[in-house]
Amino acid sequence: MSTHTCVFAPPRLRTALAVEAYKLRRSLALLLAAIAPLLIAVFMFFNLTRFDKPGSWAMALQSSAAIWAFFMLPMCTTALTALMAQAEHGPRTWEHLRALPVPRWHLYAAKAICALAMVVLISLLLAVLAPLAVLAAGWAKPAAAVADAPDFAAYLLLLGRIFLAAWLMVAVQLWMALRHASFVPALALGIGGTFFAVVATSAKVGVLMPWQTPVNQLASDPSRAALALAVGFFGGCAAFTLMLWRMSRREMPA
Amino acid sequence: MSSAIETRGLSRRFGDRLAVDRIDMHVPERSIYGFLGRNGAGKTTTIRLLLGLLRPDAGQARIAGIDVARNRMAAARKVGALLEAQGFHPHLNGRENLDLSRRLLGLPATEVERVLEVVEMTPHARRRVGDYSLGMRQRLGLARAMLGAPPVLVLDEPTNGLDPEGIADMRRFLRALPERTNATVLLSSHLLGEIEQTATHVGILSQGRLVLEGALADLKAGLAAAVEVGTDAPERAMAIASAHGFEVERADEAVVVYIAADEEPRDATAALNRALCAAGVRVHALAPRQCSLETLYRNAAQPALA
Repeated sequence: MSTHTCVFAPPRLRTALAVEAYKLRRSLALLLAAIAPLLIAVFMFFNLTRFDKPGSWAMALQSSAAIWAFFMLPMCTTALTALMAQAEHGPRTWEHLRALPVPRWHLYAAKAICALAMVVLISLLLAVLAPLAVLAAGWAKPAAAVADAPDFAAYLLLLGRIFLAAWLMVAVQLWMALRHASFVPALALGIGGTFFAVVATSAKVGVLMPWQTPVNQLASDPSRAALALAVGFFGGCAAFTLMLWRMSRREMPA
Repeated sequence: MSSAIETRGLSRRFGDRLAVDRIDMHVPERSIYGFLGRNGAGKTTTIRLLLGLLRPDAGQARIAGIDVARNRMAAARKVGALLEAQGFHPHLNGRENLDLSRRLLGLPATEVERVLEVVEMTPHARRRVGDYSLGMRQRLGLARAMLGAPPVLVLDEPTNGLDPEGIADMRRFLRALPERTNATVLLSSHLLGEIEQTATHVGILSQGRLVLEGALADLKAGLAAAVEVGTDAPERAMAIASAHGFEVERADEAVVVYIAADEEPRDATAALNRALCAAGVRVHALAPRQCSLETLYRNAAQPALA
């Protein structure tokens, strides 16, 4: 007869985070994190080499931020959150996870923190690759090399504001992806949100729309940018909190 | 004997359908409790209530004396579960999958090797779970349920989809569990044969109600002794047996004759045989009826279906 006994350590959020990060190993989410900023950098390279006269750092970096905020960030968010949710929906691990002696909100908080961390990772990669693309374009076509000095601090600040303004969009996408076992509702929401963000950029109420709050960080009106940042960040905090509460209490269908 | 799992008036409704109807279940410690019922009887719903995955509409469930609804975390530390949907990450190997659960439970790394060895999966631990057979996944699921050596194991259809060899392997593991790990096992299945060979106790669920529960040996002993008579004239045989005071029923082409509890089965069978032969009824088979779990199940479940 076995006399083996085990003592469970108290559950910690950082443990759930470590487990979530472990699952990302060799997953498509990491591949996406690498490809997305690379695509922007490649596009920048070819776009800059079209011109025959010198460009400017400000314009080049601004344009990379615009592509990121307008299009690539919403699409990456849609894909990343869907992948992270499908990591449990696909193999149907939710019942097992929710039966464990682990606070359920830890499981969902870990997903949320990892989703935000992935967006930070992509932003940082973009912050490195975009300038490299500008330098590479100048090396490949000296006539188009940038003439002025770069302001990396301003660029990083812009990427930081875009990230914070994206919290509401990330929260809504993640909630939708976690709520439904099929990836279709989340995908439809992401595509629809991105579409309206692109076609209705100048709309006054656009500043309140989750998919437009990041791109409004490029607005020439500072008050519009500030309002969008507040909506995106504080709205995102509220949405994440509500998501954790609702998803923890929800009963999973069999 | 105290109960490792206990429910009192446990109920759960989905819309108009009462899936679990006032269940009073008692699973003795260190038993293998076969939880039986046809598909849709409410077994999986009951299990999900026990694991805190669903909230009951009424009643109470206790695991190792802990109220599941009031203290889910403490109850969850006492139970390991193998659920129908297996739930492994196919791109990770067996060891990595177990390690995810091990970390969440805050257990030492050696625990993974221990459970892999118990289910004899150590040689396959470095292969991707996506490449595992169904039997290997079930064994890995059993290993995961055993992480932390919980005193209660809840296994929902563990032999589902397995081939005969896989079923035999699983049966071997399960039979050894209480002895090997001191655990109580709740084993749900719709396969009577598997439960009969594995369980020490049974609970039979029908349309959401627990219609029978107890130690399997005691329940079978309580069944009335009977003989099966093979004859070309079953109606006449039934009439003669009834006239001699026996209770009878038709079972396909045979006649089942029940022997009263106060009669010696051998004497009663001999008397029956004499009566039938004297009446000119040709008997080509006369054998004691096996007291099987199937009989218990049919007797228990069918009145509820009527």
